[in-house]
Amino acid sequence: MATSFRPTAVRPDDFDAYWAQVIAELDALPLAPEVEELPLRETDFSRTYAVRYTGIGPYRLFGYLSLPKGDGPFPTLVYLSRYQSVVEVIPQGDASEKRQRFAIFSGASRGQRNADLPYAGSFPGMFTDGIEDPQNYIFRGFAADCCRALDYVLTRPEVDRSRIIGLGENEMPLLVAALRGGFTQVSAMPSFFYAAMDRAPQTEVYPLQEINDHLRLYPEDRELMARTLSYFDPLFFASKVDVKTLLWGDPETLDPLAAAVAGEVEQRPSTGSRYTDGLYKEQWLSRQLGFTDVILPAHWQ
Amino acid sequence: MQRSALENFQTCAVRPDDFDAFWDDVLAQAEAIPLNARAELVPLRSTPEVEVYEVHYDSLDGVRIAGWYCLPATRSEPLPAIVQVPGYIGEPPLPKEWAQAGYAAFSVAPRGKLRSNAQFNPGYPGLLTHNIIDRNTYGYRGFYIDAVRAFDFVCGRDEVDAERIGVTGSSQGGGLTLALAALRPALRAAAAGAPYLCGFMDAIELTHTYPYHEINDYLRRYPQSAAAVRQTLEYFDTIHFASRIACPIIINLGLQDNICPPETGYALFAQLTAPDKKLYAYDQSGHDAGGAEHRAVVRDFFAQQLKS
Repeated sequence: MATSFRPTAVRPDDFDAYWAQVIAELDALPLAPEVEELPLRETDFSRTYAVRYTGIGPYRLFGYLSLPKGDGPFPTLVYLSRYQSVVEVIPQGDASEKRQRFAIFSGASRGQRNADLPYAGSFPGMFTDGIEDPQNYIFRGFAADCCRALDYVLTRPEVDRSRIIGLGENEMPLLVAALRGGFTQVSAMPSFFYAAMDRAPQTEVYPLQEINDHLRLYPEDRELMARTLSYFDPLFFASKVDVKTLLWGDPETLDPLAAAVAGEVEQRPSTGSRYTDGLYKEQWLSRQLGFTDVILPAHWQ
Repeated sequence: MQRSALENFQTCAVRPDDFDAFWDDVLAQAEAIPLNARAELVPLRSTPEVEVYEVHYDSLDGVRIAGWYCLPATRSEPLPAIVQVPGYIGEPPLPKEWAQAGYAAFSVAPRGKLRSNAQFNPGYPGLLTHNIIDRNTYGYRGFYIDAVRAFDFVCGRDEVDAERIGVTGSSQGGGLTLALAALRPALRAAAAGAPYLCGFMDAIELTHTYPYHEINDYLRRYPQSAAAVRQTLEYFDTIHFASRIACPIIINLGLQDNICPPETGYALFAQLTAPDKKLYAYDQSGHDAGGAEHRAVVRDFFAQQLKS
C-alpha cells in the first residue's frame, strides 16, 4: 500500500548490542517473586494476587495476577504498562466476569504505583527523564520491566503457553514480543516511540509534547534525543515480531511499521468511540483465543 | 436498553435529611483552614502562548493539594476561568488548551493523585472504599473539598474575573463538577461528562466493572457493613447535590457507557432543578460520552456562558 508517511529515525549501529545487554542483565537476576493473595479482590470465580518481583537495576516491581478458580491452564491476558501511575487489576470498564475465563496479569513498571520506590514517575516528565543518554533513559528499565512481567507470567503453571496475548496502549507489546518471545498475539497502539521525532512537532498531546517541551528549553539536545528514542522505535523491533499483531492507529501513519512486522498484521483505526473500539477489541481477543462467545460488560450486550 | 427505559430509571438513592447540614459543616471546617496557596512558574512546560504554573494549597485535614495553572501569555485581564477536575485513574492534565482559548485554567490533583499523595494515598483500587463506613472520614469527603478549594484558588487570583468561572470534567471529573457546582454557587457554568460518584448503589447493580466494582469487592468481603456503606454513600452521591445547583449546566452521557451507567446519569439529570440545563445523550458511545463531538459542545457552551 502506498503511504506518504516516511519515518526518519535511523537504527543505531549498536541497537542489537544495547538490547542484548538489557536482556543479559535481566537473565542474570533472579525473579524472586513474592505472591500475596488479596481476599478483597476475590470473586466467586477468581482469586487475585499482588506479586512483587525483581527487574534490572535491581529494582523491585509489582503486578496484579487474577486467576480463575478451577483447573487450568487458562488463556492469558498480559496488560503491559501504560503511561500513567495507576495499574489496575483489570482495565477499567472490562467485565469482571472475564476473570472467570482468563488468567490476567497487569504489570507495573518502575515509577508506577506500587513500583514507585525509590523512583516515582511524574506524568508528564517520565517520558523524557534521562533522554539525553540511552544508557540512563528511564525507559530502558521500563521496557525491561515489561519483559519482566512476561517472565513472571511464564513461571505460572496456570498459564496456557499456547494462548498468551500481550496488550498495551503503546509500543511495549511489540518490544516485549521482539525481545522476549512468549506472546502468541499482541495488540499495540504505537503512539509514543514510533517515529517520535517526526510526530512530536505535529501534536500538543502528552507524552509526545514532552519532546517539544524539552527541545524548547534545550534545543541543543535534538540529536541526542533522536538517538535515544531510536533505540525504542518499534520499527526496529518489527522484524522480530513474528506473532499475529493488531495495530491500533492511523493506517497511513502505521503503514511503514505494519509492513515491517514479521507476523500477520491487522490495522485498526480508532472510531473515536470507546464503545465501538472496545467492542472490537473484546471480539478480537475472544476470536484469537478460540472462543465463539465474548464476555462483555452489561452495557455492551 | 431502550432510551425510554433509561430516561425513566428510578434511582434507589435516598437523600439524607441532614445532607445539607453535613456539607455545611464540612465547608465550615474547610473555611477555617487558610488556603496558603503558592504558584510557581514551570518554564519547562510553558510555551510562547501559555504560562504554566505548578500550584499548591492547603485543604481539609491539612492535606497539601497540587494543580496545574495555565494562563494565556498574552491576555487582557480580568480573564474568564475554567476549573478542570480529573477522572479516577488518569493524571490531571495540563489545561493548556483552555489557556490557548483565552481562559485562566486550573487542573487540580485532589488528594491521592500524584503530587497530592504525600499525606493521603489509598491507591487505585482503593480510593472509592477508603473509610467507606464512616462519612466523617470517607476519602471523598476531603477529595470533594480539594475540588472546592480549586475554585477558591482561582477565585482569588487577581487576573481572574470571579464572576466568570466555570467547571468541567468527565467521569470522576463529571461527579466532581456536580459537587463543586453545588457547593460553590458562585460558579457561573458547569459541564459534567459521564458522571461518576452518581447513583453508587444503582451502579454496582447495573455494571460489574471497575471502579464501581470496588464497592462490590468491599461488600463481598464485609457483608456486615452493607448498611453503613449505603449510609455513607448517600452523603456523597452527586444525585443529592443536584438540587443545590443553580448555574447553567450541561450533562453528556454515552448510552453504551460500561463504566458509569447511563441510567444513573438520567437519574441525576431528572433531579437537577437548575432552570438552564441540557442533556446530551450519545448513542454508539461509551465512556467517552460523545468524545470529540461533545468537546466542541463544551467549548461553545463556556464561550457563551463565560465570554459573552
